[in-house]
Order: sequence, then C-alpha cells, then structure tokens
Amino acid sequence: MKLNIDGLLVYFPYDYIYPEQYSYMLELKRTLDAKGHGVLEMPSGTGKTISLLSLIVAYQKAFPLEVTKLIYCSRTVPEIEKVVEELRKLMEFYCKQTGESNNFLALALSSRKNLCIHPEVSSLRFGKEVDGKCHSLTASYIRAQRHSDPNLPSCRFYEEFDSVGRQVPLPPGIYNLDDLKDFGRRKGWCPYYLARYSIMHANIVVYSYHYLLDPKIADLVSKELAKKSVVVFDEAHNIDNVCIDSMSVNITRRTLDRCQNNVDTLQNTISKIKETDAAKLKEEYRRLVEGLKEANVARETDVYLANPVLPDEILQEAVPGTIRTAEHFVGFLRRFMEYLKSRLRVHHVVQESTPQFLKDIFEKVCIDRKPLRFCAERLQSLLRTLEIADIADFSAVTLIANFATLVSTYSQGFTIIIEPFEDRTPTIANPVLHFSCMDPSIAIKPVFQRFQSVVITSGTLSPLDIYPRILDFRPVTMASFTMTLARTCLCPLIVGRGNDQVALSSKFETREDFAVIRNYGNLLLEMSAIVPDGIVAFFTSYMYMENIVASWYEQGILENIQRNKLIFIETPDAAETSMALEKYQEACENGRGAILLSVARGKVSEGIDFVHHFGRAVIMFGVPYVYTQSRILKARLEYLRDHFQIRENDFLTFDAMRHAAQCVGRAIRGKTDYGLMIFADKRYARADKRGKLPRWIQEHISDGSLNLTVDEAIQLSKHFLRQMAQPFRQEDQLGLSLLTLEQLESEEVLQKIAKIAHQT
Amino acid sequence: MASLSEEVLLVVKKVRQRKQDGTLYLMAERIAWGPEGKDRFTVSHLYADIRCQKISPDGKAKIQLQLILHTGESTTFHFSNESSALKDRDAAKELLQQLLPKFKKKANKELEEKNRMLQEDPVLFQLYKDLVVSQVISADEFWANRLGDMNNSDPTPYNNKQDVGISGAFLADIRPQTDGCNGLRYNLTADIIESIFRTYPAVKQKYGENVPHNLTEKEFWTRFFQSHYFHRDRINTGTQDIFSECAKQDEKGLKSMVVQGVKNPLVDLLSLEDKTLDEGYGVSTTTPSTSNANRTVKESSNAAIIKRFNHHSAMVLAAGSRKGQAAQMGTRGILTSSSLLLNPFFSLAIEYEDLQRENRLKTVALNLKKSDRYAHGPVPLQSQHYTTSQDIINSVNHIRHEMVNYKPNLTQVLSSTAASSAITALSPGGVLMMTGTQQAINQMIPTEVQGELKHLYAAAGELLRHFWSCFPVNSPFLEEKVMKMKTNLERFQMTKLCPFQEKIQRQYLSTNLTGHLEEMLQTAYSKFHVWQTRRMLRKT
Repeated sequence: MKLNIDGLLVYFPYDYIYPEQYSYMLELKRTLDAKGHGVLEMPSGTGKTISLLSLIVAYQKAFPLEVTKLIYCSRTVPEIEKVVEELRKLMEFYCKQTGESNNFLALALSSRKNLCIHPEVSSLRFGKEVDGKCHSLTASYIRAQRHSDPNLPSCRFYEEFDSVGRQVPLPPGIYNLDDLKDFGRRKGWCPYYLARYSIMHANIVVYSYHYLLDPKIADLVSKELAKKSVVVFDEAHNIDNVCIDSMSVNITRRTLDRCQNNVDTLQNTISKIKETDAAKLKEEYRRLVEGLKEANVARETDVYLANPVLPDEILQEAVPGTIRTAEHFVGFLRRFMEYLKSRLRVHHVVQESTPQFLKDIFEKVCIDRKPLRFCAERLQSLLRTLEIADIADFSAVTLIANFATLVSTYSQGFTIIIEPFEDRTPTIANPVLHFSCMDPSIAIKPVFQRFQSVVITSGTLSPLDIYPRILDFRPVTMASFTMTLARTCLCPLIVGRGNDQVALSSKFETREDFAVIRNYGNLLLEMSAIVPDGIVAFFTSYMYMENIVASWYEQGILENIQRNKLIFIETPDAAETSMALEKYQEACENGRGAILLSVARGKVSEGIDFVHHFGRAVIMFGVPYVYTQSRILKARLEYLRDHFQIRENDFLTFDAMRHAAQCVGRAIRGKTDYGLMIFADKRYARADKRGKLPRWIQEHISDGSLNLTVDEAIQLSKHFLRQMAQPFRQEDQLGLSLLTLEQLESEEVLQKIAKIAHQT
Repeated sequence: MASLSEEVLLVVKKVRQRKQDGTLYLMAERIAWGPEGKDRFTVSHLYADIRCQKISPDGKAKIQLQLILHTGESTTFHFSNESSALKDRDAAKELLQQLLPKFKKKANKELEEKNRMLQEDPVLFQLYKDLVVSQVISADEFWANRLGDMNNSDPTPYNNKQDVGISGAFLADIRPQTDGCNGLRYNLTADIIESIFRTYPAVKQKYGENVPHNLTEKEFWTRFFQSHYFHRDRINTGTQDIFSECAKQDEKGLKSMVVQGVKNPLVDLLSLEDKTLDEGYGVSTTTPSTSNANRTVKESSNAAIIKRFNHHSAMVLAAGSRKGQAAQMGTRGILTSSSLLLNPFFSLAIEYEDLQRENRLKTVALNLKKSDRYAHGPVPLQSQHYTTSQDIINSVNHIRHEMVNYKPNLTQVLSSTAASSAITALSPGGVLMMTGTQQAINQMIPTEVQGELKHLYAAAGELLRHFWSCFPVNSPFLEEKVMKMKTNLERFQMTKLCPFQEKIQRQYLSTNLTGHLEEMLQTAYSKFHVWQTRRMLRKT
C-alpha cells in the first residue's frame, strides 16, 4: 500500500499495516526532518525493521540531497541477513508499483570470514585466522615482493579486484552476503574488498555495530562515510556495553608471555634486516622524523587494526625521538612489558585511575606519557616496515601497544584494576589487569557528532530517558509505542510464592535454600504438563543454573519433567548449545515438546527468537542482576553516580529489567503469536522493578497477577492457553490492531493512533 | 502326537509337573512335557500361545519355571534334579527367552486382531460363543477363513504401523526398590530394555558382545545399573567397567554431532557474532575459566549432568525419528537447493502473515457457543434434550403452513368398493393374508426363543458355509475337512438343535420353527452321502 506519512509518499510492501507502525513512521519522519537523533521503542514482532526501511528509503528517494545514505547497524549476522531480505522485499514492491527498475544499491558488509571466497583461506574456522591469512596474501609489500619473485602465493580474487574492480561500480541491486559472494565468484573479484569499497557509494549499508563503534575497525571501514547519513542502531538495548567493550583491555600473565615472544621475534627480525637491508630501517626513521607517517601509502590491505583511540584524540605530530629507531622502540616495549609484569605480581587488589598509573610508570621506569601515546601507531609502522606477513601472531604485542596508547590518551572515564586472583578461587594466582572503560559515551560520541541523524531503537528500551543520559546525547524525539492487540496474546504472571507459601526469590540469601529450589522445580514441572510444545526457562547466571539443575536432578524433579517434555540445557560451549537448540526446535516441531534451560545475558537470550510453538512459555527464574561483587562494575556504578547522577540501584535494576524483558520478549514475535511470560520472583511485584519493564509488557500485568502461588499461576495459564488456542482470523484484528488503507485515511482512526504513540 | 520330524532343541530330565516326574522338551515351535516312562506328552504349548515366563527368585528352595498362556492358564515346572536344577532352569529360561519373542509378535498381532473383530462385531462374537466355546468346532477352524478375509480386505492399516517413540523418562521409570536388606531391585520389562537399546546403541552392542557368553543377562543388567554410565553424574569411569567404553562412544557421538554443526543459521551461535572482539579486549565479566584444573569436583559433575541431559534428549529424539530420517533428508535437500534464490530460514523469519491479504483456503472454524465451558474443562454431561421455545414456535408455524397449503388430489383416489375389497383382502383371514400365520411369528413367540433361534440360524449358517465351501472336493485336505464338517454338523444338531426343539415342544410352540433348519441340514447330509457313496464306488 502507499501511505501518506506527514506529506511523504511511502511505499509499504504489505496490504495492511499495524497502527503502531504508522505512528512509528511519523515519529521517525519528525526525527529526520529535524536532522537530530531519536530514541524509539517498539515491541518486537510489530514490524520495526520494515517500517524503518520503508520510511527511510522513501525519504531518500524524496530528498536525495538531504539524506544520502542509510547505515543500518544490527547485532548478529542472521539479523543482518534478515534486514537485507526485508529490504529486498521492499525494493521488489517499489519496482512493481512504479514500474521502474531499481537504482538503489544496498549491501551487507561482514568480516572476511563470512565473505571470503578464496578456497584455502575461507576454509579456516576462526575469523582471526582468516584475517591473518588474507593479510599474508594481500599486504602491499607482499605484492611488491611478488614482482621480483612470481612464485609467491597470491590471492587471485584480490588481484583481479585491484586491477579492474574499482573502475566499474557495483551495479544497483540488493546484495546480501551470499549475493556478494556469488557476484565475486562470477567476476573473480574479492567480495570483501568489493563490499568495503562499495559502501562508499551505496545507498544502504547493513553491517554490525563494531564497524561504527569500535575505533580500531571504524577508522578503517567507516572513515569516509558521508556526513549526511542516517544511522540506525537496531536492537540497541545493549549498546552501552558494546561501546564499553570496544574500549576496554584485559592483560593476563599469558598475554605478557606471548608478548615477550612477539618482542623477541621483532628483535630478531630487526637484527636480520639490519644485516641485509639496513636502508629500509633508515628510510622508516627518516619518515618518522619528518612526521610523514601518512606519506607511505597505507593501503587498505596493510592495516590490520587501526589506532584504538578515537580519531580526534590522535596526535597530529611526529613520533617522539625516543622511540623512532626500531631498536629503541623494541627496548621501550620491553621496559613497558617488564613494568606490567611487576604490576601483576601483587598480592592484593589494586585500583587506580589512569593519571595515577602514568605517574607510577614514570617514577618506576621513566616512561613518559607522550611516547606511550604513539605506541600503537609506532608498532603498526614497524610491523609494516619489517614486512611481517602473519600479523595474527602479533595480537599480544598489538594489545599491549593499544593499551599503552589508550591509557595515556584518556585521563577520564577509565579505571585500572589489578586483581591477583579470581574471587571464587582465592588460592590460585591468576593476576589480571583490567583496563576498563566506564563511560559508553566516549566510544559513541563521534557517531553522534558526525552523522546528522542517529536512531536508537529496540523492543526493550525502557526506561527511555536513561539511554540519552548514559550515552550523553540530546535526542529530538523519544517515544515508546505499545502493541495494539485484538486479543491479549501475552500473559505476564508474577509468581511470588510456592504452594507452601515459601517466598520465591533468587536473591543471594535464599539462593541455596532448598525450599525455593524445590518450588522452582515444581513450577517448571507443572508448566511442562500444561504448556504445549516449547518452554524456555532462563536463570540468572550459569552457576546458578548448574546448581539448580544438579539439585533438581537429585530430587528427581528432572525425571518427572522428562515424562512430559525433553530437556535441553545451554552450556558454555557455543557449538554444543547450537546443537541443543536445533534439537530443541526439532522436538517442538515433531510434537514431542521440549524445555530449554538457558541463561539470561547468555548468547541464547540475546540472539535467538522463539517464535510460535518454539516458545509458548518463558519462565524467568529470579531477577537477572549482574554480578554485583565485580570491582569493574562497582567502579562503573561509582562513575555513573558521580558523572551522570544515576544512582547505583537505579542502574542495577534498569540493567536487570532490560535483560529480563529481553528474555521474556523472545517468545512473542508478532500479533498472531502468543506466549506466557512467567516472572518467578517476588521482587518483580515491586513498583520500582515492574515500572522498568517495557510498557507493552507492563500494561498487561494486572493487579491480580502480582503475587501468585504456583497453583494459581497454573490455573491462569491453563485458561490463557485455551483461549489462545481458538482460531484467530484477520477479520478479528481489522480495525483494531490491523488497518487497511481506507481505515488509515479516516480522521477518527488517525486520532486513535495518535494516542498510541506515547510521548515521553 | 510327537511327530518325529520336530527338532528338539533342549531336553531337561527330572522336571516335575503336578507332582509327577517327567522330562521337559523344548522344540522348534512348542514346549512339551511328558511323564516319566510314558511315550506321550501330557503338556504341550505352542510358543505362540505363551504370554510370558516367570522364574522363582534365587533364594527359594524350589526352583521353578512358570509359563503363562494368553488364555490365562499357567503351567509350572519344578526342576528337581538336585545337582543341576538351577543350571537346567536357567538353560530352559535362556532358550525360551530367545524363542518367545520370535513368536510373540506374530501371536500378539493376531490375537489383537481377533480380539478387535470379536469386540466390533457382536454377531461374530455370539457365533464364536456358540461354536467355539461350546466346542462344536475348534478356534482354529473358526478363524481359518475369517482371518484370510480380513487380511485381504484392508491390509494397509496394519502394515503401515506407526512406530512408537520412546518416552523421555524411560530411565526414570525404572524405579529402584529397596528389598529390605540393603539391596536395590530394578524392574526391567522388555519395553524398557528395548528403549535402552534404541536410545543407546552402544549398550546394545555391548549386550551383543557379552551376553550370553561372557555374562548372563542378569549380570549384564546388574552391571549396567551399577555402572556410572547409568548414574549420569559420573565423572570418571573405571577402566574395568565394560560401560566405560559406551561412555566414551557417547562422548564421541556427542562430539561428532557438535562438529557437524547446525543447518539452521538462525540458531548457529558460532556464527552469530559478526566481529568478535579480539582476545584481551572487552570487559571480561568474570567468565569462569573452563580449564578443569580450576573447577571443583562438584562443578564438573554438575557440568556432566547437563551434558548427559542434552545427550539423552538428543538420543531419544533421534531414536524416535530414525525411521523418518530418509524422508526428512529429502526435504532438507530441497531446501538447500532452493537456498540460492532465497534462504528459507530468513524468508520465513521476516514473514508477517497477518499483514498480507489472506489467500489460503477458507476453512470451517470450530464455532464454540459456550467457550467458557470449553475453557473450564469438561462438566458432567446432562442428558437433557434442549428445545428452545423458538424451535417450538418455528415448528408449529411450519406445520400450520403445511396444513394451510394442503390440497387433496381427488382425481387419484380409489373408488369405495375397490378400497373396501382391498381392506378385506389385507385383513387377517383375507385372501392375501392366508399365509400370514407365519408372519406373525414375532407375536407368537417369546423374544428369548426368537433370539435363540436367530443364533441357531447364524451358527448353522456358518457351519454350512464351511461345509459347502468344501465342494468340489478335490484335495485330501478338503476331504478331511468335509468329513469333519459333517461330524460338526451332526454334533450341532445333537447339542444345539435338538435341545432347542425339545424346549419349544415343552412350551407348546409349533415345531415348525426349526423345520427350515433341519431341511438345510438334511440337504447337507444327503449331499454328503451322495459324495461318500460316489467316493466309495471310485475306491472300489
């Protein structure tokens, strides 16, 4: 259908539309008009992606000079693929309606591991190996060497792309990863470099967060993207953690040992080169003196990881004299490493700020701040000069150099914590130096500054106002949309008591309490008897799950559950869990029914959807608080309190509730879907917890379902499931939660819709 | 009775049955026992007739073996050879154990089928009672051509028997019971054993390797339950344990399953992340180190339990779908080949079915008048017949309407004389009712006699059908059968028909009732005589 969104003609590739999609598009249009940033929450399964794409594509077509590019960031590879498929659908609709052929170029970009078509390289299993191998075939000096010695191995796909691929732009169309690979195979071009080259002139780019948020990668890939782009972060409820992760470093004794080896190798290579080709080193030295680090064409294939700090923090000066010669630099690295080793030899926990650390290092080993800041860059230059092929081996020394640069660049927003052992095993020495970022706004700041509109959206962003605060930006629109429902297809229940009136809670004091564990078991057992097909149960942590599973096993609860359904359990091993997941789906598919025991904050809770019969009920055992004894977390909480005026408890609850909402939200993927959401902890009943759940869940929690016993919950669930099993037809939805074009044009309906969008 | 051609598999001497010494024979198709010094068997059971065997517990003084038949009868043998009683019994038991299942399936299926037919067809059941239970003919004869019919008529539902899956909790169903003196008893049934074998092929293989030459069956299962393999939280299995190899095989199987990876990219956690952070970057949220050194014993046993459960569920699932795998593979193949056009997993994942115009077939939805009742479960059924007032009004209106529109068709009626003559002719005693006495049989005869007569007709019909089906008699088998049928008929006349005749005579009812039955029998007899005389002539 064709929609009129505030004067903009929008093609929407479906015959009907949900009211909230309409309001979402209105709000999005306002954000784009104002050239500002927005925070939009809309329940999963209400067609967020297609609404976003429809509106922004229409906007791009209407105002090609205002918005030149859409950068769509998602979290996982399947999500990226899904976005491309939706886009394909939209574009097909455009072609059918307008009769014109598509002149848009949209493509997905992913790491080499997912795009490489070189027979040998692509067969490697780990991303790091693929990157390293690719580098060893395509680095500029390797290719230069090949001129003299044609027998050296090469990547014909890259050579082909390099010689002709750049002249002819990628023809318009929609390319997912497989399409790119197919195209690459047909032409004999490297799909990875083709994609990286093509994103510069593509209309729509779909890739993962890291390409924008991680400065080490962003500087390589996304540096030249146009300012007039719209950036969308989908599934952005965890964006603060992604930001923090990209700026944090951990150093263990093992890292230092490997670093030692790296430095030794460097030393040897330098002395070898000195004998054979001293001119090369001299040339590098001369360049550095003149500050001509850019003069050497740093070709795209050469740089493995760019500077870890953000672009505006990089010093535009010549490398200081102390580390200019290769030997001096290696000596410098050695000193720095020895210093770190000595720091790891502590017997008690140390926490200090970055200025403290710098002062200490200056006093102890006379290392100045300035050379430290150039460490990462100097190392890159050295590795290039030494023509080291397999860069993947040098990850340890790169890590140390990056740490040096980070620690000397930022005086605020970071903390250094040295722990001599893990908390759980105080007898085993395993010292770790955590250099941890506490301020997510540091990493995302350039994105907000550079691009004209940044939209942060997800199914669970409540409470909305906390995101602008922790990411430090000022949005022009903030809105939370609810799900209009013709039938209440979600049934949130808070189970606070067992049948024996024991209060159910996962809080620390009652964690080992057998009565609680038994009652949790009863809840699962009874649910397994009444819920058809799949049940997903989430625990607060892996440890907690292991303990509960063990005691359920001893008490024979699991055996009884097995009479009703098969049991699958998430393990720390991703491959094993994938298999369990597939088997779980198979068991749901063939009617046997299954239970998946999983962990909040785990991979399953973040990336896997349980549509329809794959998840008819989700049980959340306990409140998924983060492990609060962690020193890193404590430091971060302090920082949040001092700099953003967010109280510790508020943040912890917010964090726990967003994960709980993520978990239970996995089961509802649309209006024809239905599912039970069982919060098995009495603490959920409190207003401060409940109030932090997304509105679309909150509004279905009635006062009567706040503190149920297991039996009561079972009764309510039975009733709910029977009701949901009734046929549900399109006619039931029309006018309420589904609109036709005519309905959308009537004034009355529009007013009703306006109420749905909840301005906050 | 003991035909010489039978192969005797086992002979056990000194076996008592009903306090009589004798010898037990296990043959290819039956088990038999004959008293000492006599040349015939007093007990003989086909294996197919035996439902199960039971043995006396080990500690008991008497060493016995009991056979329970499908009919519910049982026969007990007491092994009384002092030196080797136990060995004898076990030998017999083992052999029976191997033999019985072979016959069991067939027997069960047939028996079930017969049972079903009798239950579904009351006439047949009555016939069965009349003929078989009263021993006019034997059960075999009765079923001889029934089953033939049945097998030919609709074989499909029986041949395509659906495979039954395995209960997820079959191991849990083997509840150990304490026997009061520090011991545990596990009750194993054939079903459970089959479940174990189907779920854990490794155990089956072990069973095949070790039983019966290395271990007896009992020892095997005892070890199975004792082994850590059964106790799923085991960490390290002793090397002397025969099941440690099974555990290793399981581990290997699990690993190969894991290495195979998953086909659905939406659940592949390995390739979920696009660009993972390099080692050393990121906030490490105290991930418990996976190296075993750091883990306590309890933790690793917990991890083992979790692994076991995943494996167990996967195996149960696989055992259930092993048959259907071929078909499944087929569809998968199609899926992958079409993936070049559009990945099915993704296109399904982005589908919003309710946003599209419906163009599937209209189906009739179940329209519940009282959804409450449906939601609250069954309520006691009340045998009330509801007629709403609206219905009554409607029907009255309808009748009224009919009456208003009623128009007699006067041109088509009979003249009054013709009508009255027809009435007299049709009244009792009228011209057309002369033979009407017999028609009124249902008024003259009490219902029980009627019922009995019906059964007699049915039984006679069945016997006669057997009799006549023998003609033309062109094989020795048919010859034998026709002789037998003749005696059967005579027996029927003697035991069934004559008493009935006497009974109706006593009740002063017309003996004419059985006239037709007798006539039929006589016809059969005369046919038989004709055939017999002709045969005699031919022979002489």
